[in-house]
Amino acid sequence: MFILTKVADLVQITPSDFKKSSIDAIHDNINAKYANKVIQKIGLCICLWDVLWASEGLIGHGTGLVNVNVEFRIVVFRPFKGEVLQGRITSGTQAGVHIRLDFFDDVFIPASDMPDEAVFEPSEGLWVWRDEDQTMYYDTHEMVRFQVLTEEWHDQTPTGPEGLIEEESGGRPIPPYRITGSMKGSGLGCCLWWDE
Amino acid sequence: MKILESQNAVLTNYEVYQHLMDRERMLKEKRRRGPGNLATLVKEVLAYLKTPPSPLVNQEKTHQYTADVVARLMARLNEANLNQDLAKGEILMILNIRPSSIAVLSTVIEDMEERFNDDEQQAILDSILEVLGHDEPAGGEEIKGEAAENGTS
Repeated sequence: MFILTKVADLVQITPSDFKKSSIDAIHDNINAKYANKVIQKIGLCICLWDVLWASEGLIGHGTGLVNVNVEFRIVVFRPFKGEVLQGRITSGTQAGVHIRLDFFDDVFIPASDMPDEAVFEPSEGLWVWRDEDQTMYYDTHEMVRFQVLTEEWHDQTPTGPEGLIEEESGGRPIPPYRITGSMKGSGLGCCLWWDE
Repeated sequence: MKILESQNAVLTNYEVYQHLMDRERMLKEKRRRGPGNLATLVKEVLAYLKTPPSPLVNQEKTHQYTADVVARLMARLNEANLNQDLAKGEILMILNIRPSSIAVLSTVIEDMEERFNDDEQQAILDSILEVLGHDEPAGGEEIKGEAAENGTS
């Protein structure tokens, strides 16, 4: 679910940060730049893991910024294909089920990857599991287990005034990183059904 | 920004949890505050890792996971002669999810029915229970968790 990625970057420390020790200033700078950001084809950055190497601080002409070249490792959220994760249902629609992890919202289970016995109940706005003798609900906010199938990347670099941000139907902007999963199979679906 | 290596290592949830907790503790000692975006994210990630049925729910109290948990699990699985058939990703998921029933174990291990017979499946579950402990739905988990801990160390 989490991996480490090695990155090289130029860190610029502003004079207002000179009161901090150098390593603290570098840590804060990197965290402020990367935490909670998606890097395309890498994943969602969580936080700095360790600093591997740093150059001398150099001050350029014209500004008081200290420039430091740093190599560091960063914790990244990037589940692998086939990994089983836990998440919470945020909503169910005819198209499928939306799931969120507390720190990551963009997980979608399409209707085709829901179990064959599960159907969408429009009157309730929920997915339900129908057996001969019992009905079980995929309630909103229920903890579920799902398997990662594919990932989608959408680069959100601005393209100029012509290409305004595309929107999904429903008015939600397209997320930079989206995971598509499956709840087909035993053991997947609401955690309560399976745990002993 | 230059990516030197997109995947340098794979982390278990426990390692991330420990790293974030250590960081919080260090900030408190130094009376320092990190950037705001990180503080929000750390709070959310910790909340996620502490939501049941995650195995880290009672980590603060029971310390079921320790730094050598991976080595202990591998050793235990080796003893039971099961380890060589499990992929790295499967071990990782076992640590992250800590399956407590055959059904959940089958999601974690691909084609489990074909690769392991019923006894071996149960043996894997027993190893997980012994090394990683188990949370009772309500109360009583501490004693059991510690017992499992002492039994292996």
